[in-house]
Amino acid sequence: MAMTLNGPFTIRVLTAFIREELAKAGFSKAVLGLSGGLDSAVCAGLAARALGPKSVLALIMPYGTSFSADMDDAREAARAFKIRSLVIDIAPMVDAYFAAFPAGRSGWLRKSDHGRSTGRSSMRLGRDDGGSAGRVRIGNKMARERMSILYDVSAREKALILGTSNKTELLIGYGTIHGDMACAINPLGDLYKTQVRQLAAELGVPAKIRAKQPTAGLWAGQTDEGELGLTYAEIDKILYALVDERESRAEVIAGGFKKKAVDMIVARMKASEFKRQMPPVAKISSRTIGHDFLYPYDWDK
Amino acid sequence: MTPVLGDVRKNLELHLKTIDRARREKADLLVFPELSLTGYKLRDIVETVALDPERAREFRDLKTLSKDIGLVFGFVEERPSEKGMFYNAAAFLAGGRILHVHRKVFLPTFGMFEEMKFFAPGRNFRTFDTPWGKMGLMICRDFLHISAHYLLFAGGAETTLTISAAPGRGLSEHEGFTSSRMWELMGESMGRFAQAFVVYCNRVGFEDGVAFAGGSFVYTPMGESAGRAAYLEPALFVRDIDLRDVRKARKAWPFKRDDRPEVTLAALERIVHGYDA
Repeated sequence: MAMTLNGPFTIRVLTAFIREELAKAGFSKAVLGLSGGLDSAVCAGLAARALGPKSVLALIMPYGTSFSADMDDAREAARAFKIRSLVIDIAPMVDAYFAAFPAGRSGWLRKSDHGRSTGRSSMRLGRDDGGSAGRVRIGNKMARERMSILYDVSAREKALILGTSNKTELLIGYGTIHGDMACAINPLGDLYKTQVRQLAAELGVPAKIRAKQPTAGLWAGQTDEGELGLTYAEIDKILYALVDERESRAEVIAGGFKKKAVDMIVARMKASEFKRQMPPVAKISSRTIGHDFLYPYDWDK
Repeated sequence: MTPVLGDVRKNLELHLKTIDRARREKADLLVFPELSLTGYKLRDIVETVALDPERAREFRDLKTLSKDIGLVFGFVEERPSEKGMFYNAAAFLAGGRILHVHRKVFLPTFGMFEEMKFFAPGRNFRTFDTPWGKMGLMICRDFLHISAHYLLFAGGAETTLTISAAPGRGLSEHEGFTSSRMWELMGESMGRFAQAFVVYCNRVGFEDGVAFAGGSFVYTPMGESAGRAAYLEPALFVRDIDLRDVRKARKAWPFKRDDRPEVTLAALERIVHGYDA
């Protein structure tokens, strides 16, 4: 299987990437959100190797006491890589918002929607969450709350934010734009979930975290594979054929994958392209950002 | 080495330091990677780092140093006679003079590459005399075209020098990028079948997240490896080569003697003119 990677070599490339990209931007420290899951644990391990454990700060940002097992796992990952960690509860910020704008409501905001806050934290995950549309709003809000905290800490600590979205998530758009997808640099973005798992073993991510079912932590009992209806192993094989091998939809199906699964993945890739690009700028002048004003990301770095 | 993107002054300093080290190693000839004076992913920066080899201060400094050591490096060329024409170029300096400037012919423009958007293409592969025999220059993608190797072979090159900024792409269970194998395969084959020394210099470091693979190498006219530098690591890679090996290889297998460039030319004429038919 061409998705097999050489662990030590891949770690060499990714740690050099973290070190050099940070140095070029004038930074020596990194900050990242640690969820207790596989991807952020791998990213933390890479950062610790690249920069030294003292130069990495992990933010553990639970929503109240829900998912306390994940918080314990996040702490264990931080301990395993000897990096600093800080727990910040996002419940007060998220609750304050949804107390004012309940997730159970939809449609245009009206004046009367505002100011319903009773001043106490009334919203709790999984209860009065407005069904699946509301759950998505809550999940996105939480992801962006964490992003907002990461950027503030990044400025305070003079540390760049490491992204933890893997290639699988990025390709199928399984992430929140301007939320968990936001970062300064992303060492994991070209590794499928299957490959992140290979790296995790190589890096020494605690076995308990490696054995966990991947979850976005949107609600109790939620798993990525349950929500997507396919295992990561299946998704990755299909994506690898479509993206890396440049096979057509028909060729992938002929290769032995279910039509429904391939179509679902192709549809998700197309529908989420907007998450992978800068928003289009309306072109009016003769030289326009995003069209013909073309500089490298590392301009003057 | 890792050039600083868009900063000719800093890169010149890097060159001077490396030249110093190479001289201490008693090297006769020092080869830098592609666009070593400017960095690779320039895009719209191209016009601000372009140099005229006849007048640029950087060339004056390097020409002076070339009295003691042969130098090959990469730069963006723009001559007063061709204003607005920017070339991805390689210069060969020795004895205080510019012996040759090669302009990259094959500018990759597909997938992650966009060189044709920013550079004008070169139009020739020409060999030239040096204190170390007849040589030919190629720049990165040129090296992957068998026609480039053939023209330098037909032109009598005893050594080909290639400067490169090749990204590492593709992983496997083995160490290194899968793309590196492609370059080594060409090096080995061309050493053996063009019966010339093949010197390939590739850069390291990252630009916009892309890792340049390093792994510079030398193959002999027998197609044997004379060593390879580590992947991804900056290195001053020094090898002694015996130029008499060209004669030795060509005595054993007279590929050069038996070559028929006039047959190639006539066949090419027919192929090229047949394009419209």
